[in-house]
Amino acid sequence: MHEQELAVTAVRPDALDWLTADSGPTERETHWQQTHGDDALAAWLAGFAPTHMYFGSEFCEHLLPSARTLRQALARAASRGLRFALLTPIASPDVLARLESLLPLLPDGAEVIVNDWGVAQLVAARFPALTPVAGRVMCRMVKDPRLTAEWSHQCGHGLDSPALQAVLRRLRIERVEIDAPLFADADTLGRVPWLQGVHLPYFSIAKGRMCRPGSLSIDGPERFAVGRRCRKECLSLAATTSRSGAEDDWPTVQVGNTIFGRQSAAMLDALKAAVRQGFVKRLVVAGEAL
Amino acid sequence: MKIVAPTSRVAEIEQLALAGANELYCGIVPREWIGRFHAVTANRRPSGNLGDYDELARAVEAAHAHGASLSLVLNAQHYSAAHAEAAAEIAGRFVELGGDALIVSDLGLLSVLAAQLPGTRIHVSSVATCRNAGAARLCRDLGARRLILPRDVTLDEAASIARDVPDIEIEAFILNDGCVFEEGACNTIHLPGRLGGPICLDRYARHHRHRDGRDLSPRLQARLEKNDEAYRKWLWYRFSCGFSTTESGMPFGPCGLCAVPALRRGGIAAVKIAGREAPTARKVASVTMVRTIVDRVTAGASDAEVGDFAMRMRPSVEHCRTGYMCYYPEVLRGREEVTAAQPERGDA
Repeated sequence: MHEQELAVTAVRPDALDWLTADSGPTERETHWQQTHGDDALAAWLAGFAPTHMYFGSEFCEHLLPSARTLRQALARAASRGLRFALLTPIASPDVLARLESLLPLLPDGAEVIVNDWGVAQLVAARFPALTPVAGRVMCRMVKDPRLTAEWSHQCGHGLDSPALQAVLRRLRIERVEIDAPLFADADTLGRVPWLQGVHLPYFSIAKGRMCRPGSLSIDGPERFAVGRRCRKECLSLAATTSRSGAEDDWPTVQVGNTIFGRQSAAMLDALKAAVRQGFVKRLVVAGEAL
Repeated sequence: MKIVAPTSRVAEIEQLALAGANELYCGIVPREWIGRFHAVTANRRPSGNLGDYDELARAVEAAHAHGASLSLVLNAQHYSAAHAEAAAEIAGRFVELGGDALIVSDLGLLSVLAAQLPGTRIHVSSVATCRNAGAARLCRDLGARRLILPRDVTLDEAASIARDVPDIEIEAFILNDGCVFEEGACNTIHLPGRLGGPICLDRYARHHRHRDGRDLSPRLQARLEKNDEAYRKWLWYRFSCGFSTTESGMPFGPCGLCAVPALRRGGIAAVKIAGREAPTARKVASVTMVRTIVDRVTAGASDAEVGDFAMRMRPSVEHCRTGYMCYYPEVLRGREEVTAAQPERGDA
């Protein structure tokens, strides 16, 4: 039986400081309950000791760490015995250039969660000691929170495409990560080729490059433009969003440039069943509340 | 610099070509696709497509008769194995009909088409969300001749990609129909209007909060509300100023006309007009606007002259000043710097 891996995402190096050598199931359950406010989820997650630190952001270029911050995160992960993965976003030319100087800091065997073809190409060509993993932004799937089950046939993905797999393989990618599908059962997850990780308890719905809250401190013509400085309002602010008169099954929240949905109980049940059946090697848990 | 324009009707192709479009692009959803997949689109647009292969053949003929090329769009966010197989069939039929280029969003499909249809020109769609040199190189290596950049890139970024990967053509957006989210990272469906439409235009209310549960200060709440108000204004511009046009059909909304000189200097090979679903008059007026600007730039007009002309064409001076209508608002920054450095006429 394989070890059930559990990765915890973090934007700040100290985000996993709650995790100490004494953190057993009780402490973990308390932490997850406080973080995600769901008793059943917390009780389930408490059964898995964290194995990986996922550091950075899949959604925003402004959250790519500096070299100093990355070193701090690496040290904290190592001190807790956690394996390390760097989360990377869709990349501008500047992000690609910055990654060229960040990736050499990663230890051999570290994973790079890639969500951009250029980043994938960079890792494949220049960093053979690192392991690229296709992230959930790259692994596209319809996840519209306004849909009902009658739309489920349109909520597929392209990961079964041999042609796509060939391109991924060319880039040394043989592991993929996804959000839990909206209308999945355990078998659905069992049929996802190369599946390594499934994210919870949120799924990404739509990601912009333009950032609405990131424009809070900007006036003038470039208020909602791209390629300018950011004060990282997303680290402290969020907006709960809802449609008047609609009874959508998934609560939604916007953090920074991305709208997320909260998984339903049915999705979580499907994920639990898939884990029991060994279909999901790694759970990837949001380290902070959105 | 090529002008790339949308078409969804054979009857409008002549007008678009005569207005100055060098390349046209269209979509098609064959009946077999609908029957097999129970989905009304093979290319992200439930409408704005040609009806069948007969129409596609006539579209190819019409484009060629008027000196333009015709590209076929296959730009869903993703293609399953079965979808990719069916899309390759459509692509093959299009090439047999004499079609000129395929616009493809899925890099797996790109590699298959490059192998199955050697010699066929393949362009990578903006939906692929490739916006750096590494991604451009990969597209080139997989067989693409052109990369269409996503909407949200800066002029410097576009130019740097064109400079760093000179052996793939770069195409950039120039007019119409903005998305709020990155097309390739938007996992939603453009639902029928009664179900909410595109998610970015749906009736979402927002409740701002601190992520750690602290209350917002009144001042911060007020700033967030002011930001929301500005965002709603920006959104109106992003969606073509309420999809409005002048009486002659010239569209308001996302526009990069002032940036044509910078795009040309940056080595951008082609500029794209969006809006397959638009009425013919809007499409023709859009091509006319872009052709007028490109010709002025080619003839040597200065950046300032081009900018002034572009703003007065509709006219849209007040809209333009907001920056919210701009694909490349940094152009306004450049104009302000020039204006500040030069004395007003008559000051000397």
